[in-house]
Amino acid sequence: MAHGGQVYSVGNEGREIFWNAPFPSEPILFFFAAIALAIFAYGFYRRWQMWKAMGRPENRTDNSGERIKSILLNGLLQVKTFKEAYPGIMHALIFFGFFVLIWGAAFDATHFHLPFLVPFFNGTFYLWFSFLMEVFGLAVLAGVVLAVWRKYIQKPDRLSYRGKMDAVADDAIVLLLLAGIIVTGFILEGFRLHVNINVDGYTWGGWSFVGYAFAKTLAGVGYDTVKILHKWTWWIHAFIAFGFIAYIPFSKLRHIVLAPANQYMRSLKPTGYLEPIPDFENAESFGVGRLEDFTWKQIFNADACLRCGRCQDGCPAYLSGKPLSPKKLHQDIKEYWLKRVPVVMAAKSAAKEGEEVVIPEPDKTMVGEVIDLHELWACTNCMYCMEVCPVFNEHVPMITGMRQYKVLMEADFSPELQLTYRNMENNSNPWGIGTHLRADWAKDLGIKSLAEDPNVEYLFYVGCSGSFDDRGKKVSIAFARLLKEAGVSFGILGGEEGCCGDSAMRGGNEYLSQTLAQMNIEVMNGYGVKKIICTCPHGYNMIKKDYPHFGGNFEVYHHTEIIADLIAQGKIALKKPVEGIFTYHDSCFLGRYNNIYEQPRKALKAVPGMKLAEMDRNHTKSFCCGAGGGRMWMEEDIGERINDMRTDQAIAVKADTIAVGCPFCLTMMSDGIKDRQKEETMAAFDVAEIVWNAMGIEEAVTAEAPQEEAGKTKEEGSPA
Amino acid sequence: MNIVACVKQVPDTEALIKVKADGSGIEEGGIKWVMNPYDEYGVEEALKLKEKNGGEVTIVSMGPARAMETIRTALAMGAEKGIHITIDKADEYNTAAALAAAIKGINPDIIFCGQRAIDDDSGQVGSILAELLGLPVVTLVTKLEIADGKAKAVKPIEGAQLLIESQMPCVITAQKGLNEPRYASLPGIMKAKKKPVDVKDAAALGITVQPKAKIVKMTPPPERAPGKIIGGDDPAAKAAELAKLLREEAKVI
Repeated sequence: MAHGGQVYSVGNEGREIFWNAPFPSEPILFFFAAIALAIFAYGFYRRWQMWKAMGRPENRTDNSGERIKSILLNGLLQVKTFKEAYPGIMHALIFFGFFVLIWGAAFDATHFHLPFLVPFFNGTFYLWFSFLMEVFGLAVLAGVVLAVWRKYIQKPDRLSYRGKMDAVADDAIVLLLLAGIIVTGFILEGFRLHVNINVDGYTWGGWSFVGYAFAKTLAGVGYDTVKILHKWTWWIHAFIAFGFIAYIPFSKLRHIVLAPANQYMRSLKPTGYLEPIPDFENAESFGVGRLEDFTWKQIFNADACLRCGRCQDGCPAYLSGKPLSPKKLHQDIKEYWLKRVPVVMAAKSAAKEGEEVVIPEPDKTMVGEVIDLHELWACTNCMYCMEVCPVFNEHVPMITGMRQYKVLMEADFSPELQLTYRNMENNSNPWGIGTHLRADWAKDLGIKSLAEDPNVEYLFYVGCSGSFDDRGKKVSIAFARLLKEAGVSFGILGGEEGCCGDSAMRGGNEYLSQTLAQMNIEVMNGYGVKKIICTCPHGYNMIKKDYPHFGGNFEVYHHTEIIADLIAQGKIALKKPVEGIFTYHDSCFLGRYNNIYEQPRKALKAVPGMKLAEMDRNHTKSFCCGAGGGRMWMEEDIGERINDMRTDQAIAVKADTIAVGCPFCLTMMSDGIKDRQKEETMAAFDVAEIVWNAMGIEEAVTAEAPQEEAGKTKEEGSPA
Repeated sequence: MNIVACVKQVPDTEALIKVKADGSGIEEGGIKWVMNPYDEYGVEEALKLKEKNGGEVTIVSMGPARAMETIRTALAMGAEKGIHITIDKADEYNTAAALAAAIKGINPDIIFCGQRAIDDDSGQVGSILAELLGLPVVTLVTKLEIADGKAKAVKPIEGAQLLIESQMPCVITAQKGLNEPRYASLPGIMKAKKKPVDVKDAAALGITVQPKAKIVKMTPPPERAPGKIIGGDDPAAKAAELAKLLREEAKVI
């Protein structure tokens, strides 16, 4: 059955399908195709059962419109993969090439059985089809060459963990399979064309230009010899292709299915979203201590990670020499899952109906042994990993879950953080400074508290740094004066304000964080607060995204948004020019968490004489200062200091001023400047201070802080 | 082991302390109350001993109704039960007598107190308690080991350390350095709400409070005079002025 019924000629171009592959080649081919597909299906069926076996429930199929959009953009159009040029193009060449080839090959091989397709596969359509198959074949080959170059010549660090290459065998096999399919395809085509053109008079052979070029090199070779070679190559080509299909579920190729699945099931919640623990009184355990305490989706994430390493490339913990790599974290959880899941499945199937399933204890504890505690606590929650992950993995909530376990269940965490939490409990601020001193910064400014006058448009939620840290207080003063000058109606909570709870939440102390949030919400709701301005992105993010869980629904603004707006409306005039080069450091909780990149830059650019230089890592790729995720309050004793690295990046663009929009960043950058002994020539300022100075109303704010009590955590119970 | 840890609720070290107009005490409104930090070392050591040797830890506290929070804090750290003596306030002797009355029935192997409370700084209660119970006391302990029915305690003295061996039962007063008090786990906090606390007043303990000492008057410390900035451009003149002020005004050289 060689489908050779048709006669092809100019005007009715085409080719004989299953040429030189007489009966029973076709049924044999389809038989092995069926086996390959069966292995493929079994592999994923098995995997499906593994995914189902462990993890808490979580709904990831709501809002299908949004989800389909995600899969179309990121799967089909590769939007997120393209965010980086080399790997983006490399992947696109292979992806689009194969996407076209696989459908082309499938229709090519079967269209004689699909009557509705037959009329298309002749003439002009056929010629263009042949041409495009060559183009996409070359595309895949080019992609493979780029991949080989990258993996074996360039060897970027991200494809390893501290120089140790990931999964050597799997990666090599996949590249060999890809190259094998394409190369044998072209060779086989060349053999066919050599005979078809010279013997059968297929004058249109040149449309298949790669095969044609190869065929020309065969000039003079006997047709019978070529037909034998063609037959062999035909089978080799087929079996490599079948091997490829069967190998998918058992290799990194699994991502062909898992990546779009994960793009579909991505979190549609706001960036940094953490599911609140709903019931402290009746819950039996808190956080993630065992593998099965993750949600099924979080375990699925570990399986969907295909080690591209984009996360590692911008991870401040990894780059500063700490043991954490978001990629390694996923790979370690995946390895652990692969060991645990058969045990769990066996235990489940062994249990009789109605009986409780007894799952043997693992020989390694997940938090502490599989995931080292230094890894767990190195994360700054900067969100770089989640921003760049092409398959939308959610590293940070997994880390927070494990921290919750260590803090809430075991109370086993760093002494510095314990002290910080006690200070938050007793005095509602991380330093443990007397809560009655909270509004001291505002003493001489004539700012009313809401207790004195609740009829104001905005609540200025000052936050702990703005209230207690000497450097932070200067920012509060500058911003409050700026607001007054612009005639904005605002008030503060004064002594009634409390810690926002962000550091507690991100450091795993959800209980404390909720307590603090509820106290603030009660006060804010008591005054009927509607709009809130925060100078600290941590408070901003927390009030905006987490307070609604506890009945706090407010319109929240970051002060750089307000400032940019006041400038745009002409309510403040910037007339005093500045000198020198400024760079703007994107705070993670402002940028990646809340997409506020342009407002602070707009405010800065409005200052006369402003020369703004961007650091290499800016906007979505900004480098963390090192203080997020509760790290502000912890010692940094492994590797390089993250703030010093960021300061070096500012020094590299010859900046005299590092502008920030976050008090944590301000502290970290100021310390970095000191560490690098650049105090004489460099300083860090908040955007509010720079704008206030540019208003030229009175003596400029300086970066010097009378460092006394703040900036250093109080020693509890230190004996006199 | 049967272990007792005595705790006192005190104002947070950072709280704003205002003396009442009549000088009889401090204004209590708006104060954040916490467990006396030295008592915390005692509770931690009690819990460590229990974890090593088995047994139970009873928390004993004297104070007004709010002292219950501090007892719960200690229970959240891991103690088994509490006794709340509802006498608001007493002098050192009567406080120790109330504690002794509550502890007598427990027959503890060891009793922990903080070396002093950070509110009135007396540092007497632990020693009087030991005296009333007829037990030895080792004060200001920074290291403790229990072996062969003996307590081996280390206390720092000027320029040296003493290693004291005491028979048991005994009273230990805890000094900073003895340990790092733990942070209560959340299940601990939740369980603490349900742990038994005996509430006893003076009558139930069979005592009457007859003060042997009383606070006559409390006065706030004098306000610190503002600092002085020496002006001028000539460093030599400024230095001379500084030396003069240090000698004549501050009288330190």
